[in-house]
Amino acid sequence: MIPRDTPARRATAARPRSLPARAGIGLKPEHFRAILQTRPDLGFVEIHAENYMVAGGPFHHWLTRIRERYPLSIHGVGLSIGGEDPLDETHLDRLAALLDRYQPESFSEHLAWSSHGGNFYNDLLPVAYDKTTLARVCEHIDRIQERLGRRMLLENPATYVEFAASTLSEAEFISEVVRRCDCGLLLDVNNVHVSCTNHGRDARDFLASLPLAAVGQIHLAGFASEVDSLGAPLLIDSHGAPVAEVVWALYRHALDRIGPTPTLIERDNDIPALPVLLAEAHHADRILEGLLPVVAESAVS
Amino acid sequence: MSADFAAALLATDGRCPPGLTCWNGSAPEKRFAVYRNNVVVGLVDALADSFPVTQTLVGEDFFRAMAREFVRRTPPRSPVLALYGEGFAEFVEGFPPAAGLPYLADVARLELLRVRSFHAADARPVTQQHLDRLLADQAALPQARFALHPALFVLTSAHAVVSLWAAHQSESAALQLAGLDTTQAEAALVCRHQLEVGIYRIGPGAAGFITALQQDANLSAAAEQALTTDADVDLTATLGLLLQAGAIVGITHPRRTHP
Amino acid sequence: MNKALSAASLALAFGAAMGIAAAPVSAASHGGAMKAETEKCYGVAMKGKNDCKAGAGTSCAGTSKMDHQANAWSMVPKGTCEKTMSKTSPTGNGQLMEFKEKKA
Repeated sequence: MIPRDTPARRATAARPRSLPARAGIGLKPEHFRAILQTRPDLGFVEIHAENYMVAGGPFHHWLTRIRERYPLSIHGVGLSIGGEDPLDETHLDRLAALLDRYQPESFSEHLAWSSHGGNFYNDLLPVAYDKTTLARVCEHIDRIQERLGRRMLLENPATYVEFAASTLSEAEFISEVVRRCDCGLLLDVNNVHVSCTNHGRDARDFLASLPLAAVGQIHLAGFASEVDSLGAPLLIDSHGAPVAEVVWALYRHALDRIGPTPTLIERDNDIPALPVLLAEAHHADRILEGLLPVVAESAVS
Repeated sequence: MSADFAAALLATDGRCPPGLTCWNGSAPEKRFAVYRNNVVVGLVDALADSFPVTQTLVGEDFFRAMAREFVRRTPPRSPVLALYGEGFAEFVEGFPPAAGLPYLADVARLELLRVRSFHAADARPVTQQHLDRLLADQAALPQARFALHPALFVLTSAHAVVSLWAAHQSESAALQLAGLDTTQAEAALVCRHQLEVGIYRIGPGAAGFITALQQDANLSAAAEQALTTDADVDLTATLGLLLQAGAIVGITHPRRTHP
Repeated sequence: MNKALSAASLALAFGAAMGIAAAPVSAASHGGAMKAETEKCYGVAMKGKNDCKAGAGTSCAGTSKMDHQANAWSMVPKGTCEKTMSKTSPTGNGQLMEFKEKKA
């Protein structure tokens, strides 16, 4: 696997290694033992940073052993980068300590907020795409990258509403953040599909307007389908189902433009047995290796 | 803007914050409800994970309704959810619809200690060598102090809290519930040995002894405390349990100190 | 009582405790060896509570997962606690029902 020479890769070259352009899976406690016993052939594993911000115990025990054998991506869900509150420096300290301990090949966070007034809302909440928010998000990312001493990847969100206050499109907003902060982009292909469906946009047009040269990792997941008050599709980023065929097609479309990229299979709800996730990862690997014929796009869209 | 959004997330009237739009002109309330549901259900799920026996005792419907009340009053103050649920037992204690179950709050207290023990810092038990040396110096033994494992907790309850908890750990154990006298006072020792959290039913004297050690009393003072609580306390058995559970992680001694 | 606090008897207790600790860990060994009754139970595995998924959405199946507006204040516990309640006990069902009526 030859790493591409993208800005994201150049910036992470200072780290011991970078994630391979292969498929990985989210590491769940249900699978700790099975992974160590069966040692599956995986590109990497990814954890949610906050789950390991505890003093000791089994989580650290297992992660230490698994990390010795696999490249690691640490994915934060609690920094509230889009929040109006100042960045939580205590939380940033915890994060720095975790990264220091496990030396992950990649660190990523979300374009979203989750804390306000000191309360934590345990969801990735949407931001208005305006100049004020842009300045705040950039200030926060600058501080995070400075504190952690590394470049981070920012994930595009799955959203269910939009704001009247927005003056920029989501792609314009993300492009500007990536340009100003020199951070990378974590391209969540499922989120692209979910958000574009929820807001009546064309996913391929949207993808084309993102700063694809900055993509350092891809996320794939399953969604749930509902309808809004007018009966239009409202997709929920549930991480509770296999990756949908329409998302696999969009993934292939994205890879055509950016080349082989580390790809995570995310599953956080209704977690299946390890072999089921490995099969999905294997599917992504075959696409990455160019072994799967491209499905005619009309058949899936 | 976030203030309105945040307030509406925990509101019970189904309102949504101002300033939301939808591309097709659909009602923002229904879309906003996705966020409210994620937040509230996610936090209730976190409590259900941490308090499984509390939930089984009152049933899922009651537990989730009670947990929702707690979530709305006491949202997390930290993005680290592992220990979310501090204060839940106190809330349960003052929750009128649960007043008929006076033991419920202590079961919740025990379950929170189990979570805290699971995630507490690691520590190595003292070695056999250290113990042998301590025993060899008999005259100094009464002044010895033990550092106990950071994952060790003691809970004393006016209710049969350990028996209630234990009766929910297996199908056959559930039969024990029928004959259980919930008004029997019990104490619990919660500690983690290697990767597993153990919950032990201990007597009141043992609880007094371990609590005294935890508060840095020397062996003699802790023993006195134990005997004051319960003249029949079995200190040999209690010390044996602490040693067996790997709960003694340091010994300070009038003449020398072991890590 | 004072005898138990002497250095010699503490040493005796401690020495015997080391003997207990040397035995393999099993519930039976506690039951046999200890006057202070112990019951050992091991908890089940813990999940990670932070993730970046969305939950059940707005109308999915599994009604208990929905943030529906059930009135917690008028509910009655309906779980295994019913097995622990004595009908004649002052803390039993009788009182619970009485409370519910007051509340309503």
